Amino acid sequence: MANENKDNSSLRVYLFVFFSVLLLALSVWVVWDDEFGLRPWKKYQEDYKTLKHDKLEREYKKAVVEFERSGGHKKLAELEAKLEKAEAAFQSKETQDKYAKLNKQLDAAHDALVVSQQELRNLRGQFLETEYYFTKTQQPEYKKKMDSLERQIDAIGLVVAARQKSEDAVKGQLSAMTAAKAAIQAEIQKMKTPLEEAKERTAKNEQVSVEIKQIHIADVDKADRCQSCHIGIDAKSSVSSVQPFTKHPLSFVYLEKHDPNKFGCTFCHRGQGRATTSAEKAHGNIKHWDEPMLAGDMTQTSCLNCHGDIKSLRGAEKITKSTELIKKYGCYSCHKIPGYETVGDVGPILTEVGTKVNYSWEVKWLMDPKSYSSIARMPKFYFTQDQAESIADYMFSMTGTTRHDVDNTKSKPDAKLVEAGKALWAQSRCNLCHVTGGRGGNNVKVYAPELSKVGGKVNKEWLFKWIKNPNAYNPGTKMPRFRFTDEEINSLVAFITTEYQDEDMEYKYVQPVEIKAASITKGKELVQKYGCYGCHKMLGMEDMVQVAPSLKKQGVTFLRNSEMREKIGMELSSIGSKPVDMLDFGKMKKSISNDRLTYIKQKLRDPRGYRLGLRMPNFRLAESEINELAAVLYGFTDASVPTRFLVPSRQELDRMAGVQSYKFTGDFAKVIADVKCTNCHSIRGIGADYAPDISFAGSKLQEGWIRKFLANPDVIRPLLQQMPKFGLSSGKPLAKVTMPRFNLGQQKVEDTNKTDVDVVINFFQQELLSSDIPKAIPTIASVPLPDQIVKGKALYDLKGCRACHQIGTDGGALGPNLTNVGNRLNPGFIFKHLENARKFKPDIVEPNYGFTEQERIYLTNFLMTLKLNTK
Amino acid sequence: MKSLPEITNQVKKNLIWKSIFRRDYRNTVRDRAQAVFGNVFLHLHPVQVRESAVKLRFTWGMGGITFFAYLLLIITGVVLMFYYHPSIDQAYTDIKDLEFQVPFGVILRNLHRWGAHFMVIVVMIHMFRVFMTGSYKAPRQFNWGVGVILLVLTFLLSFTGYLTPWDQLGFWAITVGTNMGAATPLLGYQGPFSEFLHITPFNDVRFALLGGALVGGNALLRSYIWHCIAIPLVATILMFVHFWRVRKDGGISKPQK
Repeated sequence: MANENKDNSSLRVYLFVFFSVLLLALSVWVVWDDEFGLRPWKKYQEDYKTLKHDKLEREYKKAVVEFERSGGHKKLAELEAKLEKAEAAFQSKETQDKYAKLNKQLDAAHDALVVSQQELRNLRGQFLETEYYFTKTQQPEYKKKMDSLERQIDAIGLVVAARQKSEDAVKGQLSAMTAAKAAIQAEIQKMKTPLEEAKERTAKNEQVSVEIKQIHIADVDKADRCQSCHIGIDAKSSVSSVQPFTKHPLSFVYLEKHDPNKFGCTFCHRGQGRATTSAEKAHGNIKHWDEPMLAGDMTQTSCLNCHGDIKSLRGAEKITKSTELIKKYGCYSCHKIPGYETVGDVGPILTEVGTKVNYSWEVKWLMDPKSYSSIARMPKFYFTQDQAESIADYMFSMTGTTRHDVDNTKSKPDAKLVEAGKALWAQSRCNLCHVTGGRGGNNVKVYAPELSKVGGKVNKEWLFKWIKNPNAYNPGTKMPRFRFTDEEINSLVAFITTEYQDEDMEYKYVQPVEIKAASITKGKELVQKYGCYGCHKMLGMEDMVQVAPSLKKQGVTFLRNSEMREKIGMELSSIGSKPVDMLDFGKMKKSISNDRLTYIKQKLRDPRGYRLGLRMPNFRLAESEINELAAVLYGFTDASVPTRFLVPSRQELDRMAGVQSYKFTGDFAKVIADVKCTNCHSIRGIGADYAPDISFAGSKLQEGWIRKFLANPDVIRPLLQQMPKFGLSSGKPLAKVTMPRFNLGQQKVEDTNKTDVDVVINFFQQELLSSDIPKAIPTIASVPLPDQIVKGKALYDLKGCRACHQIGTDGGALGPNLTNVGNRLNPGFIFKHLENARKFKPDIVEPNYGFTEQERIYLTNFLMTLKLNTK
Repeated sequence: MKSLPEITNQVKKNLIWKSIFRRDYRNTVRDRAQAVFGNVFLHLHPVQVRESAVKLRFTWGMGGITFFAYLLLIITGVVLMFYYHPSIDQAYTDIKDLEFQVPFGVILRNLHRWGAHFMVIVVMIHMFRVFMTGSYKAPRQFNWGVGVILLVLTFLLSFTGYLTPWDQLGFWAITVGTNMGAATPLLGYQGPFSEFLHITPFNDVRFALLGGALVGGNALLRSYIWHCIAIPLVATILMFVHFWRVRKDGGISKPQK
């Protein structure tokens, strides 16, 4: 305006200029930031290109040096001189004349061929046309014409063939003239090719464009841009060991089966696949992103998303081991976990526990199981003395009316009997499953109770009945029935109750005390409140299930049995993808990091720590167990995975196909219900992997050997010193694991007149067969058998079999001892095993030597001569 | 070589030039008025503005700044619509893509988001100023009324835009907000007297807002349409009424001497 103050207006000009410059600077910054600041992957890709270029250059130089060293240049010069000579010879007048003549001949022959071919095509066309009219009108004249055309076609066909032949002959002559030259040219090319290819690779690397690399999985609308930075993740070799340029670790295990272009990265690694602006955002290590990236072994938790069965999955070893903890501690007893619906009770049956244990022991156990056994699996419920007594009262009231103890230390059994019991204890390999004094318990998956202080726990009458027939007390038990005589059992009981005494035990109720009714009621309420029936079978609580609190609020108190699927604890099916906002950190909100993994770990560490009134007991897990269990729980997600990714477990596949999963039937079922072979062995997918898989034992083993072995495993077994799996993983010195003697062959199987050993043998030979294993091996008529054996022996020495296998006292101990293999294995099995050892045992360490059939016959015949004469 | 005036003259003789500018401009009161009359964008504006009315100390310039923010939001909003699908499967990932992938997506979205906050703030300051200077008094009472409606529309724009990223924040904000609607007297099923109108969760005002009884795909689509088309349309019309009324009511009020 006209009457503006002068000073004021100059200030305005300065301000205007200042803000204009600021705006310009900001605009420039916006453009720069958008182009480079927010797109760090551009630099990574450029760097990767440089690194790769350097690597390719190095390779090229190496190839050049190699070429020089092997006299490549000289050879090349020689070849070129040769080529020149050949060319000169070819250019000579005489040859050229001949060549030109032949070319002329070829032209003529070709022209003639073309003419006759044309004629043939014409005739065929006419024939088709006539055929069309004939089928339409059915007039005989067409038929006649067709016949004559057919004859003409045949005639001209012969002409075409003849002319083709003559043309080929001329062509052959022509190429024979240039053959020498072409051969030299090919050789030159062959020498040059590796160098040219190396150069081409470098040139190709230059042409790779810098751009976002995105994998879009359309059916779940997932876009993974991880490879924009991790550019070489699926490369065959790393160009650098620095992130993000490395290749995927163990890519031959993980990426081979999961092509990153189909699966992306975030299905397994989580994180924020769409983010490209910074590593923190992409890896999901930011606020409000619930899925931080999984790295290292933790990634294996994602196997659970798609794989129904991870037991023998390569690359899932950690998570498989961790999953075992769910079974060990019986999480599924109180929490609903998919896949564990049919797993049996984790705790022993308690219906008649009053006849089994001392009352004082029971109370002590309830208050703190670990005070009795440091490896006890039962958690601590923090019961008071009063509460523990009420629960014990309730349990004892099922079989009696009194609190009572039996003090085993008072009675002194015969020393001879104890000695006999001790021998039997060792012979029966009780320590294979049971721990005493910190030793034994190699077959950890059986979770047999520790017996170090069992003398203070159980009474002798019960122990006798238990050893005589464990199934009678607890039908689901893993304890086998050893076929002991009553005398033997007496000696064992005497040994156990004297050897494994509890020094700290106070027997308060040697004089029985009457149980009060009020205490029983209180005990029952406690059992219901804390859900003891989740892990233990209890009288009157067999079908006990909780109605969910939400339903109770709505007034629902009755549900049909099939609807009552609620468990006492929270469902864990999707704990691994539960939004962090929905996790109740309660009192710990401020003291621990608010993320899902920390929540799960803290819950396992201190189950009642988040707020008052929580009921979950404390398992007092080791920190390593907490980490493992948390990893498994983290894998229970409701992640939307395309159906095509899913790999259902064997059982699921069988169910979908309507196939009954394998079950033992007939007399053998009766034997196995007693002897519990599957505690250690695996048969047709049932059982444990502690001892060898015997699914095909009928085809593999000789009857006589099985018989001898079952009768007396101690004698024959030492020849078969196989490495126990748990010896490897636990790092303990290798124990000489032998199978216990079950005293088979002395008793008849129920309802039959066959002995149990006959039933087992019969089952092996009828059922445990593989159609892949032949009864006999092919024979070679041309070579006499003794010669074959000699050749087999030579092969055995040549291939270094003795590095792992032992014959007599000679050889290594990694593989099975072969001293008596001729008595043990069927030749058909050896023959097949040599062809492909992994066929029957996928995780075997034996290499595949690629023997020919003949070699395998020689070797088999040699091995079958290895027999040890035992009586 | 032609001289500059010659070239200028030639350009101005051009038919296209004449169709736009009609006549020469001389810096006179008459020509200034003609320029305003002849321009569709300026004809709402008073031909003459009192000097006192543009004093920053008096007006704070908040009305104009509000309009500027509105224009900014319209422009960025239209561009954002190119990158956004109002469906529950895609909405959130579209927002993520704006952050990570779209050229200038970060500044685009942030301009829109912060611009919206800015507009809500300045519109309230504008109202405060109008109240404190007594500018709502006769003869401007009608325009105050229009302004109040515009304030509500601004809030509604802000509220409906909240759901569009389809994140937890927006989801729960809309859940709470529409549940408040459900407690409206007569029109909400939880509100008093609603039973006289036979109002249920499936025919009340919340249902109308959400297109269902839950915050879902329909709610997202509805808030998108309200946010991008319906409310901006009404607000734009009312804004022009607002500006035109300022002129009709004798221009911006002036400080009382």
